[in-house]
Amino acid sequence: MTETARDRDDLPGTFVFTGERSRAGYRLNKLAMSMTDPANRKAFLADPDAYMARMNLTLGEMDMVRRRDWARMIEHGGNIYLILKIAGTVGVTLLQMGAQMRGETLEQFLATRPGHNLMKRGAH
Amino acid sequence: MARIIGGIGTSHAPSIAHAYDKGSQAEPVWQPLFDGYGPAKEWLKRTAPDLMIVFYNDHMNRFFFDAYPTFAIGVGDTHKLADEGWGRRDFPDLAGDSDFAWHVARSLVADEFDPTICQEISIDHGILSVLPLLWDAPWPAPILPFAVNVIQHPLPTARRCWRLGEAIGRAVASYPKDMKVVVVGTGGLSHQLHGTRFGFMNAEWDNEFLDLIERDPEKLVGLSHHDYMARGGAESVEMIMWLAMRAALTPQVRRVHRNYWGPLITGYGLVVYENQE
Repeated sequence: MTETARDRDDLPGTFVFTGERSRAGYRLNKLAMSMTDPANRKAFLADPDAYMARMNLTLGEMDMVRRRDWARMIEHGGNIYLILKIAGTVGVTLLQMGAQMRGETLEQFLATRPGHNLMKRGAH
Repeated sequence: MARIIGGIGTSHAPSIAHAYDKGSQAEPVWQPLFDGYGPAKEWLKRTAPDLMIVFYNDHMNRFFFDAYPTFAIGVGDTHKLADEGWGRRDFPDLAGDSDFAWHVARSLVADEFDPTICQEISIDHGILSVLPLLWDAPWPAPILPFAVNVIQHPLPTARRCWRLGEAIGRAVASYPKDMKVVVVGTGGLSHQLHGTRFGFMNAEWDNEFLDLIERDPEKLVGLSHHDYMARGGAESVEMIMWLAMRAALTPQVRRVHRNYWGPLITGYGLVVYENQE
């Protein structure tokens, strides 16, 4: 069965990671992949603009990263497992990213979780 | 002859590794997860397999989109641990069994499955987040890592994963050395990690999946990726890797253990099955 448009676009709030998105997000994803090397993390943190320019990001892509706009990065073709490496490098957790993508504060998001009442305050 | 004695299906998640490394095992939100692995660890200790085959996915650590394999097999004698972007975890590298792994590679290709054969592979949370919950380090046996593309569409179908598991079963059965092998499938259950649907979980579907994979897996094999993503969230499509594990086992299995806990953003599932001779 070949993938159809339905496989890509009809799930609400979802960007299925297709070849088209992988192509569009290639530079951004490649930058994120480089964060698996501690020396690159250090270089990125020392001068993010220079590092991003070296990785050939477009001005629009650099802007998304500067603004920590995770939703926009995903929409643009960033893969969640790679964008997570940028987040980790700048000290943002997956739960914080998720809350932001939903347009919520972390506290608001955690209040929606089944285990909310079991969580130690400030443990996340 | 080598033989498969049983299988394990388990979620994998960075959150599990994080909670483990922070020592959160006894916190109320985590205890049902970590305690749930006790019987699985006990079973592995008692059955003492000589090798573990693990179907998992790489989360953009060994492979990048410059050349992304649909299937990849690690055939080295050592599998290094990955730095996923926040430092390597403090565990020993995994051992491999190169002779066995090359046999499996040959058998699969003869069987018309064509994995990318990797003499170097690095292991991320797709295996390592749960390995310390199943085994104590130093790891008591070698591992054969088998990576499946569940990230960049087009993905292999659920049925393709099922047939892969069957082919792995034939590969093990044709290895001349006496060995007890356990087959593991990792991933899922319900979760979505991006977009406004971030945090989507479906405990009812997760439990139906755990029922079906034990007794009526054909119902799962017939589902499309869209079915999985709609029911369990986009990233839950990883659940197709459990089908490869199940297909490597006997049609009827004895359930040793089952656990489910979904407190935050992932439905954590665990099953242990023994082959019925």
